Order: sequence, then C-alpha cells, then structure tokens
Amino acid sequence: MQLKNVIESPCGLRFMLDGLDLQSGFARRWLLDTEMMTNAEEIAACYGVLQHFVDFVRSIEPSFLNTLLFRLQGVKDIRTTIKNLRQSSTLDDIELFEVKHLAILSTEVVKLLKEHNLDEVVDIPSLNEVITILDPDGMKIATFYIYDSYCEQLKDLRVQMRKNPEKQEDLLVEAADIEEGVRQDLTRQLHSHVDDIERALVALAKVDIGVAKARQVVEQGLCFPAISIDGSSCYSAMFHPQVKDALGRAGKQFQPVNIGFAYRPTLITGANMGGKTVVLKTLTLCQYLFQFGFGIPASEACIAIKDDIMFCIGDEQSIEKGLSSFAAEMKNIDAVIKASRENRKLLALIDEPARTTNPTEGTALVQALLKVLATKQMSLVMTTHYDIEPGTAHCLRVKGFDNGLMNYSLVEVEDGEVPHEALNIAQSLGIDPEWIDLARQELEKSE
Amino acid sequence: MIALALTFIDDILNYNSLSIVGLQKNTGKTECLKYVLARLPLEQKRVAVTSIGIDGETTDQVTRTQKPEIVLREGMYFGTSEAHYRQRRLVSELIDVSDESTSLGRVVTARALTQGKILLSGPSSTLGLQRWMHDMRRHKIDLAIVDGALSRLSLASPAVSQSMILATGAAYSINMSQLIQRTAFVVDLINLDLTSDSNIALLTPLESGMWWIDTDGQLHEMPMVTSLSQQVEFQGMENCSTLYVAGALVDAFLEKVRKNKNLKHVELVVRDFTKIFVTPQQLRLFEKMGGTIRVLQKSKLIAVTVNPTSPSGYVLDSDVLCDKLSQAINLPVYDLLKN
Repeated sequence: MQLKNVIESPCGLRFMLDGLDLQSGFARRWLLDTEMMTNAEEIAACYGVLQHFVDFVRSIEPSFLNTLLFRLQGVKDIRTTIKNLRQSSTLDDIELFEVKHLAILSTEVVKLLKEHNLDEVVDIPSLNEVITILDPDGMKIATFYIYDSYCEQLKDLRVQMRKNPEKQEDLLVEAADIEEGVRQDLTRQLHSHVDDIERALVALAKVDIGVAKARQVVEQGLCFPAISIDGSSCYSAMFHPQVKDALGRAGKQFQPVNIGFAYRPTLITGANMGGKTVVLKTLTLCQYLFQFGFGIPASEACIAIKDDIMFCIGDEQSIEKGLSSFAAEMKNIDAVIKASRENRKLLALIDEPARTTNPTEGTALVQALLKVLATKQMSLVMTTHYDIEPGTAHCLRVKGFDNGLMNYSLVEVEDGEVPHEALNIAQSLGIDPEWIDLARQELEKSE
Repeated sequence: MIALALTFIDDILNYNSLSIVGLQKNTGKTECLKYVLARLPLEQKRVAVTSIGIDGETTDQVTRTQKPEIVLREGMYFGTSEAHYRQRRLVSELIDVSDESTSLGRVVTARALTQGKILLSGPSSTLGLQRWMHDMRRHKIDLAIVDGALSRLSLASPAVSQSMILATGAAYSINMSQLIQRTAFVVDLINLDLTSDSNIALLTPLESGMWWIDTDGQLHEMPMVTSLSQQVEFQGMENCSTLYVAGALVDAFLEKVRKNKNLKHVELVVRDFTKIFVTPQQLRLFEKMGGTIRVLQKSKLIAVTVNPTSPSGYVLDSDVLCDKLSQAINLPVYDLLKN
C-alpha cells in the first residue's frame, strides 16, 4: 500500500503531508509513491536516518538551511529522460540539459551535506564523470548546448554563421547532422552512468523528504517511536496535530491523552464531546505515520507494526454513493471481520458502531462484534455509547465533566458502563431549557 | 517620426518588464515586437522575450494570413515551449527547463548564441508567467518582454508586466472613429489608478470570490461565488467602502452595484484591467453615480502602435489615424510599418 492510497483517510494524514515543506514536486510524488513499511528493520533504519536529519536541522544556521532548500528546489522529475537513456535512445538537447543540471545540483548538495557528515546517511553517487562529459569547457554552470569544443567542424560552421548571417539557414542544416552525431556520442558515454544518475535523483528526493520530516518533528514537537515487539502499542501525551492547530488558533489548548492497547479489544466510552473520535483518529494517524516513517505526535510512543489498518468512521462518501449510513457502516465493519479471518496483523479502529439504529439492537450488535473480534489475533479500539457487559473488553472512559470543564483524559474502568452526562453537556451548550428539563423529567419517570 | 520612435525604446529601458498587447489579431503586435527587439541596446541590457500561449506560428491560426517567426539577436534570452525549441533556427544555450507545462510541452529558457529565428510559445497562465518573469530576474535579466494576446483565449494576464505597448488597428475596426473610441476605452482601462497600498496588501492574496471592506478597514467575504451570479445581494453592506471582484467584472454586476443606494460612492477593485468586461456606457454611468474603479496591478502604457491595414485589405489613412488617436488618448501613436 502506497502513501497516496491512504492520504485521504479521515484520520488527518493529509494535514501532516501538506505541512511538510517539500522543495520539489518530484520529492512529493516520490513520497506519495512510497510503500507502507511492515518490516521492523526497515522502520528502524528509516528512523535512524530521520534522527540524523533532526540533529542536522537542530544544529545548522538558518542561512545554511536556506541554501540547501534552494538547491533542492531545482530538482526536476527527469525519470522519462533516464528511461530514454536506459533504452539508449539518443537524448536531445533538453534531455542532456536535464542530466547535466541534475549532475551539477547533486554535486552541490553532496558538498553541503558533507559539511555536516550527512553524505554518509544518504548515499548520493558522484556524478563528476557525467559533468565532465556534458561540460567540455569546464564552466561548471548548469547550462547546455552542443558546445563548439565537441567538434572542430561545428565550431567552424558557427563562426561562418556569425560572419554570414545570410547563409545561416544552410549552415544550420549542415550543423544539424554534426550536432546529432555529437548527441549520439554523448548518449553512448552517459549510458554507463544511468544507474548512478537515477540513484542521485532519488537520493535528492530523500534528502528533501528527510529535511522536511525533520523540520516537522522539531516544529510540531513530534517524537521517535520505539518498535513494539509484543504486539502492544502505547502512547504518552498523544495529540492530534490538526485538532491542536485548530484549537490553538482559537486560543485554546489541546489536552493530550495517554492510551495503550494490545490484542484484547479496547472499548472507549464517555460523554459526548469527550474526544473519543479524536482518540481514534489520532491512533489511526499515528499508525500510518509510524509505518511511513514520520515523527509521532506524542511525548513517547511504542508502536506495534501492522499489516493492515482499518478505520471505520461515519463515512459521508458512502452516503453520497447512495448507501444509507447504516448500510455503509455495516459494510465497513463486515470488511473488518473478513480481514480479521486472514492471517495478517490487523489494527481496526471503529467509531460508535451501530449508532444509527435503535439502542436495543445496537447494543446487541456491538456486544456481538466485540465477541467475534475478541477471538482474533488483532488489535481493536472501539468507541460506543451503549452499555456493554463487563469482561469482554479492556474498558477506558473519558473522564468527562470535572468542575464544569471537560477533562479529556482516559481512565481505566472495570466495565463498559457508559456515563450519563448528555443532558449536563447539552445544558452547558445552552440548548433550549424547555427541551432539556422535559428530558430530565422523562428520565426520572423511567427510573 | 523615427526620432520619436526611438524615444519609446528609451522609455522601455526604464522598466524591468514590458508586454506588447494586441487588441485583435493582425493589429501589428508581432511587427511591434520585432521593431522593439531589433532596436534594444543589447550591450546595455540583458533582454529576455517570451509569449503568452501559442504565438509566433508561421501562419495565423484564425485568419490564415502570413505570420512571421521572431528574429532574435545574439545574446537575447527567450522562453518557448519544448516543441518550438526543437524547431529553432539558431544556435542557443539552454539555461532552464521549467515545471510549467503547456500544450506544446514544458517552457524552456535559452540564450541565443547566434542570431536566428524562433517560434515563441511561453507560459499559458498568469501564475506561470509571473514565475517565468521571476526566474528571469534570477538569471539577471534586465528586461523581460512578453508578447501578450489580449484575447479570451489567453488565461495569462499581460498586466503582470511593469510597462505595456498596445497595438491596435483596422483589424479591430475599419471605421476610424469607432476604432479610436474603442481603443481609447481600452487605454482608459489600462490607465485605471491603483487602489491604496493597504487594499493591495489585503486583496492581492484573494484569488477568487467577492469581498468587501467596511469603513473600519475590516474585510468580509460575500456569500456567493462570482460576479457572474444572478443572485447578487448586498445585504448588511451599508458601511461598505471598497468592493473587490477577484474574477471578471461584467455589465450586469456593475449595474446592480450602481443601482444599490448603499454603494453609491463605492470603490470597486479588480485585479487588473484584463478582468474588466463592461461596456463604455455602463462604466460611464457607474462613474457618474459617484463610483470609482481601481486595480491591484497596473502597467505603465508607454505607447500605442497602429496597423492601418485590415486582414481583408482595407486600409485607413495612417497619418490621420495616428493624429486623431494620439489626441484622443494623449499618448504618442506610431505606425511602425510605415516608418
């Protein structure tokens, strides 16, 4: 699964990606094409590299960073040219320019990285020989044409052109054949360097991505996760960057939460507006960030690797497709059950299943879902408002109203009994008192 | 006359960028560009030239009349599409390949190492054009020239340049008084004043929608999408001092503004003159009621050139046309072919 396949997940991954200050369109495309990592060594190596970039970003002068970023802005997607070179089709002037431009750029970037020993972290092959081929006059500037020095005869023709502009058309035709010969020769010489050219291009994208991720780590206060070996995941002071950002702009603070889960289903109950959905979103987001090698929005995290991540939340898109909200939800959860039967490590995050139906059947559906999924080797985190039998799940509850303020932290509870705070919360929202008072009377009657 | 014409070359040198805009196909825009390119002192200035969208085809796509390639002098920089770069008839050194893509491939920039002919086809969006001009400054270009079509077909606005030359002529109208009137109207639009610096800072980033500024300087968005919309309502805008239309300004909208008693003395702001699609009558009525129109971006109009010959072969009297038009717009007018 590539990053571009999950970028629109409602967990807020796009916000993180949009927040990356990538310098070239190529780096962005390359990042979107990266596969989700499911191998511990690969993830560890990826964070190892990122750590070097974070150290680098923390230690350098802003002017040095700007110089590097400016160079990286020049990286172009020349994969088509590289493909043509690989197939030995004669490169034209524009393609030769692109190769030379890349070669000079990568040499400059290597020089900058060397000053901070980062050249060992990202291996950028030397393209000095490529530069020599395309820069016969040793000018070391990233411009290109079929230089006079490639061929004495070409030089003569151009001298004549300047002397006799009236003969230019004929002389150009004559020169065109010679130029084509030079291009064929250059293509032949460059062909043996095609692997290095391609590796340099990708390496420049990696430097761009590394620097951008590192700056995000520093700016947003993200952490490096440990890789869990026992299948359990836990987070301290976890936050959702997008929600935190929105709250910050409204002059409010995000209250981070601590949470851990393993193979036993985890059930989160709690008052409305208690941030249950945000917890699920953040857990989904963190799992993706982890397996695509980004910093994690928490003070500490230890995360288990998963093969599949399934996030089920009220899905507007399905409604647009003509499915009722209940049908859409049932189909999504059905997919989770089917996936749980396969022998893959699965993380499922389900937000208030069966919320749109009557509470009697809804409770039965949720209870049964917990039982079905509890027997599988998977991690499940689910939120609900229904009263669930004790014992089926690891239960967490949002602390809820505390001295008139919402406390978003999660506390362990014995059973899944849900708090009854909806009326208090509605009242604090300033909802019509006639309605709320009548509701209280109704409640008292039923008790 | 030749001495006068050289003066306008001198004027051009005072600016970093110039666009040459034709009011219609065959109004002599390309002739004007050739004239300018042939006379610029290259030993003093680094000059780059490009065109908005497809231009410089050997045959005009609309009227099938002959359209010359541009002749560049040694040392000139130029921006054109990949396809046209491959067809160049000069020796040139590539200095940049942009990410800006056109129907003819990406826009490339090169320096002419010999004189020779080239078909120009540069960036096709305003943003792309701005980027290209910005890049030219990075390459230490003193003067960037844009061959700009003023047609509905072009999405790029030539008003991003500091200065402008307008080409008009019999192709625009073969009735001389009508030609003068219509040209004078466009000249008036080009000469519209800039809005205040604070408005420019506030409004320039807004690329779509309609906005208004109240007398306290607060910015508000109007709850509708474009000025083309029929259901324009100006509710709660009693203290509106400035109204900004990010898109096109059309007659129907201007009329609604004019007829709203709260907006009698409103300053109506548009991005640049190319966004104005109103008739002279509507504009006059609007201004008579006390309204003003201002722009966020403006080019200094240096001169107007005329081509007295229409594509069908009809020829107006060049001297009379130049004199009358010059009087009407208070600017020098040149018939470059004649001279």
